[in-house]
Amino acid sequence: MDAIFLMNNVWIIVCTALVLLMQGGFILLEAGSTRMKNAGHIAGKTVFTVGIASLMFWAVGYGLIYGEGNAFIGLSNFFYGDATTMGEGLAGSVDFMFQLAFAAIALTIAFGGFAERAKLMAYVIFAILFSIVVYPVIAHWIWGGGWLGAHGKQDFAGSTVVHLTGAMAALAATMILKPRIGKYNKDGSSNDIAGHNQVFTALGVLILWVGWFGFNAGSTFGVEDAFFGYVALNTQLAAGAGAIGAMLMVWLLSGKADVPTTLNGALAGLVAITASCAFVEPWAAVLIGLIGGMFVYFSMKFFDKKRIDDPIFALSVHGTVGVWGTLSNGLFATPELATVGRPGLFYGGGFEQLGVQLLGVGASGLYAFVVSFVILKVMDVAMGGLRVSEEEEIMGLDISEHGGYGYPENLTPPKSTDKSGA
Amino acid sequence: MVSLKTYEDLGREREALISGKITDNEQMNDRHDEIIRETFDVARATIESEQGPPPAPFAFFLMGSAGRREQTTSSDQDHGIIFKGEDVQDYFLKLGKEVSEGLDTVGYPLCDGNVMASNSLWCRSVEAFHHQVAGWIEEESWQSLRNFSIIFDGRVLVGEPEFLENVKIEACHLIERNHLYGRLRDNVGYVKKGVGAFGQLLTDHPHSDHLEIKRTVYFPFVNAIRLLAMKEKETSAPTVQRMNGMEGAYPFLNSYRDDFESLLSLRVEKDVITPDRLSKEEKKEWKYLIRRGRKLFREVSRIMEEGNES
Repeated sequence: MDAIFLMNNVWIIVCTALVLLMQGGFILLEAGSTRMKNAGHIAGKTVFTVGIASLMFWAVGYGLIYGEGNAFIGLSNFFYGDATTMGEGLAGSVDFMFQLAFAAIALTIAFGGFAERAKLMAYVIFAILFSIVVYPVIAHWIWGGGWLGAHGKQDFAGSTVVHLTGAMAALAATMILKPRIGKYNKDGSSNDIAGHNQVFTALGVLILWVGWFGFNAGSTFGVEDAFFGYVALNTQLAAGAGAIGAMLMVWLLSGKADVPTTLNGALAGLVAITASCAFVEPWAAVLIGLIGGMFVYFSMKFFDKKRIDDPIFALSVHGTVGVWGTLSNGLFATPELATVGRPGLFYGGGFEQLGVQLLGVGASGLYAFVVSFVILKVMDVAMGGLRVSEEEEIMGLDISEHGGYGYPENLTPPKSTDKSGA
Repeated sequence: MVSLKTYEDLGREREALISGKITDNEQMNDRHDEIIRETFDVARATIESEQGPPPAPFAFFLMGSAGRREQTTSSDQDHGIIFKGEDVQDYFLKLGKEVSEGLDTVGYPLCDGNVMASNSLWCRSVEAFHHQVAGWIEEESWQSLRNFSIIFDGRVLVGEPEFLENVKIEACHLIERNHLYGRLRDNVGYVKKGVGAFGQLLTDHPHSDHLEIKRTVYFPFVNAIRLLAMKEKETSAPTVQRMNGMEGAYPFLNSYRDDFESLLSLRVEKDVITPDRLSKEEKKEWKYLIRRGRKLFREVSRIMEEGNES
């Protein structure tokens, strides 16, 4: 068997493991960014919804994306289990596993908008529906031979497909769920609800950062010319620049070198470079990451002013910056590297690629938002509310949804305060 | 004998005070003083009925914002008792406990840091206080110098004023001899930033909309003037009174006093501002006060450092 073929497969299965490890990053990031009383819930639901995402991707997701179909959806290869197919230099199963890990990331991002107030059952049902009617459709449009891919839309590793899609679902969720108790005052002004452990958040970001090498460098789908090294280089530069950009911005504007914002800046750099990591030069990667990091703080403030409570800043990190990352191709893609689509504006490509990118962002973002909103609205009515009761939210989801605390020694179950006996 | 009010009566008076329309710092603090004095009288009568009259001359003094006559609608209690005599501490500790509980009932929450006359650290004889304050200064640890700053803001509400005054004056001499001006400055050296790089008002946290007046605007003035008062052996506690007392030596204090007085009247009504909700003029005024406080603190720091070298 061809050595390159084997190495391709080994590389991609390693990258699959790295992308799956990003879930560990999300567990720490989300748990650290929220309160102690919800920590066990946030960690546990991530593992368990990865389970749902995996089964759904196997049953229908992969087929809807990559099956034979039309410009809008694939319609074959359900219940994937083909051990013989070889395509694009990869064993089918290796390709399947890599794609599955991406689908699970999009779902976890979407759940950022649910944090600290959604019923456990809302996670279960939305995980199933998102895995059928939201993610696969957009992935098909751009990666599965759909209409946006045919237009030459550049999204190397998924700024749009994974990050923007997840963030749009998160936006729909946070709008329907409404802000957490205590986040906003009567006069509309906002309070900080601090996360309980910045060390967890930082470690979570670092795990995501490492996992991102699977996400971006793995999206080369092979080892030929060792191009993955170049992709990794751009990824590293953008992440570093993102952290710097965000800290600079929050320092200038708030007077404080805020740690959560800086951490989100590193993630913003990673999200921003995800679409363009294979198409741009390193100096552009620095700029793309830096601007992504700077945007993230403005975006956090913007959503806060609009009274959209986004506990772990998923909308800003994955949404706003996902848009920026996708558009940045239209500015910085070089003629030599643009293997899909056209060079960017700054390389004499005119506005054409920028237009294609804008169309891709607009169509995908709109679809993900509208469909998620409708699904969640219907669920809201059918389930008698997506949100837990006020009392449950106050006592925390660890105890209300799971019957035990993530930190049992630090928290004690609330005593019954109802003296009326009713 | 005049019949005394109960703690509950006084609680209602305090409630009326804080929900009332007083916007003048002097009036506000006159009323707080009256309520606290009457609470002390009730406590004293309670202890007298059980233990007999006070066995020695004493003074009941307030510290913190009450000591400085800068209480707002949400101040807690900080106080102590200094007495002249041996073997009478038990009596005054009982009195201190009754006063603390009384004030708590009236609506002044117990002090988290236990700066109350029920704590033997803050309820001692004149000799013991002299000894203790000298010990704090000799120790010159962060906490011991903090304790000294606390007692330096003491103001006698009931009893003999000179007991406490003598403690302060002797301490000031000791500080001078030990060249502690720099250390005392460092002890309150954290000045919270209130105005950003673009001249914008900064909130307390990047993800909240509020700015607590106390730390950002008010503390720099209070801390600076307390430092200067330690150097100048100015024994009064209210910041404005300290400024008046030192104006001869430091004429520049004149303009800062006007700024501080306008800050006090703004602060009577609220503890927190929301920069987004302020008009352009209001923002301008707050930024001005923040900058003035920082400037005063810088100027005083310089004076303290020079004083250390001489």
